[in-house]
Amino acid sequence: MTAMAAEIDRQDAQADDGELAARAAAGDRAAFAALVERHYDFIYHVAWRVLGRRADAEDLAQDVCVRLGRAIAGYRGGAAFTTWLYALVLNAGRDALRRNARGDRNVSAFAAHAQLMSEENDDDDPAERMWEAVRTLPDKQREAMTLVYGEGLGHAAVADIMGVTENTVAWHVHEARKRLKALLRPAGDE
Amino acid sequence: MSERDEFDMLRSRPAPKPRNDARKEALAAALRSYDEKFSPTAQGTAGEVRLTDRARKLWRGLMNRKLVATPAVAGLLVLPLAGYAAWQFMDEDMFGLRTETQVQGEPVRPSEAAEEQEAGRGVVLNSEPALPQAPADQLRETARPAPAAPTGMAAPRLQRGPLGAESKMVAPSLAPAPSMDMALPRTESRDRFATFDTNPVRAALEDPVSTFSIDVDTASYAFARRSLKEGFLPQADTVRVEEFINYFPYDWQGPASADEPFKANVTVMPSPWNTGTKLLHIGIKGYDVPATTRPAANLVFLIDTSGSMNAPDKLPLLKSAFRMLVNGMAGSDTISIVTYAGSAGTVLEPTKASDKQKIFDALDRLEAGGSTAGAAGIEEAYRLAEKSFVAGGVNRVMLATDGDFNVGQTSDDALERMVEEKRGKGVFLSVFGFGRGNYNDRMMQVLAQNGNGTAAYIDTLAEAEKTLVQEATATLFPIAKDVKIQVEFNPQRIAEYRLIGYETRALNREDFNNDRVDAGEIGSGHTVTAIYEITPKGSPAQQIDDLRYGNAQVNNPDGIAGADEYAFVKIRYKQPDADTSKLITTPVTAANEIGAFDDASNDVRFSVAVAGFGQKLRKTDQLAGFGYDRIMEIATAARDADPYGYRAEFLSLVRLASALDGGR
Repeated sequence: MTAMAAEIDRQDAQADDGELAARAAAGDRAAFAALVERHYDFIYHVAWRVLGRRADAEDLAQDVCVRLGRAIAGYRGGAAFTTWLYALVLNAGRDALRRNARGDRNVSAFAAHAQLMSEENDDDDPAERMWEAVRTLPDKQREAMTLVYGEGLGHAAVADIMGVTENTVAWHVHEARKRLKALLRPAGDE
Repeated sequence: MSERDEFDMLRSRPAPKPRNDARKEALAAALRSYDEKFSPTAQGTAGEVRLTDRARKLWRGLMNRKLVATPAVAGLLVLPLAGYAAWQFMDEDMFGLRTETQVQGEPVRPSEAAEEQEAGRGVVLNSEPALPQAPADQLRETARPAPAAPTGMAAPRLQRGPLGAESKMVAPSLAPAPSMDMALPRTESRDRFATFDTNPVRAALEDPVSTFSIDVDTASYAFARRSLKEGFLPQADTVRVEEFINYFPYDWQGPASADEPFKANVTVMPSPWNTGTKLLHIGIKGYDVPATTRPAANLVFLIDTSGSMNAPDKLPLLKSAFRMLVNGMAGSDTISIVTYAGSAGTVLEPTKASDKQKIFDALDRLEAGGSTAGAAGIEEAYRLAEKSFVAGGVNRVMLATDGDFNVGQTSDDALERMVEEKRGKGVFLSVFGFGRGNYNDRMMQVLAQNGNGTAAYIDTLAEAEKTLVQEATATLFPIAKDVKIQVEFNPQRIAEYRLIGYETRALNREDFNNDRVDAGEIGSGHTVTAIYEITPKGSPAQQIDDLRYGNAQVNNPDGIAGADEYAFVKIRYKQPDADTSKLITTPVTAANEIGAFDDASNDVRFSVAVAGFGQKLRKTDQLAGFGYDRIMEIATAARDADPYGYRAEFLSLVRLASALDGGR
């Protein structure tokens, strides 16, 4: 790596997301690489929240990266880059869940079985069980929960990402919690 | 973020770190797609570094779904298609949880469609359009900061699937844009309807008495209409045939004076759908209270302003509807408004209807937000209703909501009990349902039935106008309550009978004379219609065999008075403020009989067509051989004046249902 390239890398590391994204959108490959490098962990993190399994999350994260490569040209800097990225990840996550839901039932049944068997899944962890329940929620509720609880975002930020009002976010969270309570209630306890 | 609760543990579980390999691969993939985007020539290298198998498979799946493929389907599918497409456009929830109320089936996957084509098996005709899921995806991707080529939505793409069937696949002309009166659908429907079985055929000999409560609700028809306009056949359980029949105004002959609150008109005629059976048609018309003698009204609007009401077909429609209602009220009537969302609140203290501007202003200020605290709201509404109670007048809480009462300690039972108790004190409850997706029909029915009120479903402004303006007097001014009907069939003449509809209103035989048993109310000028399908003795249409030792069980032995009567209709009712019931009786004899169905009056024939339609949607066995085309014929011939176009609309619904149901 030449000194100049190293210098560019260093600059990229300092540049803020918006600037990098703008350069990437204009065709700056290095800027794009830096951007993806910087946000991969974040993408993977959300993907894992959505799908709950390492292999699936890795596939989804990669899918998001691929989409990002094609979508970055359309980034206009209107919203914060992370907001935009969140929306992209959520969309990809929704598609992935949809594919799972629609795909071969046997495969998913087997996957569920495999998941039960795998060590990676900590079955006794009540938090993980709750996340499992979150994953069964309708899209909007699940996304709101993922962002509010998983990412620790405020309702205003979540509203931006989801493109709805804060009230709607609050309502999704409320509905989700109501539903979760019902889902997590031990059987027979009415 | 400050939410602290039992869900906090969700925060406590960190996501694991990504593996380095996965990370590298993802970065490489990202750059590849970036390169493809910015320098298309780089595509040649795409095969060198491979995605994982699974990712590739997923990606292909994604591409496949963009492919719009359908068998060459007859024009019949255009409507379901339009509905389906609109549905896809409007909702991203597509494959969220499916509940039992969801109508749409799993779409045929492209590969299956292709096989279908390959085999040359031709047209697949059923109510589940064979469509892949393209529109939602494409729409989203074009709506978002848009990756990929901005290909036109309707542009056909070729499938790269293994079947090589691409050339045979055609893109349907995408989505005739949803028209204005096509209500916009939701995918994940959480509408709740109580299920019930269709009334069975009963043998008059064993079970000569049929008892039921009157029902003037119309919600089921409006709900089914919405469903049909969206392109789905309504679920059988959402169809209550009596509510279909009673949706339409009929010109039954009414009583002459208020002393006798209503009059029953009985017609016996051959059944149009079965040879060998007849229809016993009972048309009841309530006394129409002249405007000058109407009692004063004290209305409390209890309005759901929870976040979910924030949709064009909910709060804004509701405001317009109530505005119309207020316009029709007398100046001395009292109106209050209570909202419930998060916490219940009084928006408008009891105000005279003459002060219209104040009421309109209060309505205009309503905004949707927060969750639903139904129980608290209803308590507050009752408090206001009692505060400005009009002795001898109409005291009514008018509840408008899209869902249920879900916040608060109150269980459904407790709520029902409260509604019942307030009814005892003279405050009635009417329920107006709005929107769709979370509609709790069961709860609405229960509340309205216990509150001596009507449950109506309002999906359009026209429906609001029908319910709250044209039928306002019927909705608001009861002329009789706890109206029960008991029909005793004469086993000497009638072998079998079947009550059409009223399944949810069935009463025990002994309840008829028990004044403590609640039943429906009839408003000023209301019409209520009940139809029995009866099988005369000796008819070949008889379904239940005669008992060998049957005569021993005849509880209406030969030689009694009225042995040649078909049946005896008894109606019990109470005056709105009375506690003891009165009885009206009408024998049904040959004098009520009409030789040919076509000789019956227009209104009778139209109501029979509606009954046929409702039963058809419920897939009632007796109508298996009776097509939508026959319903159309009867209804068209009996359309009559139809000043508000209700019957014309009915005809269009029959056409829709016929198309959706494969023309059966």
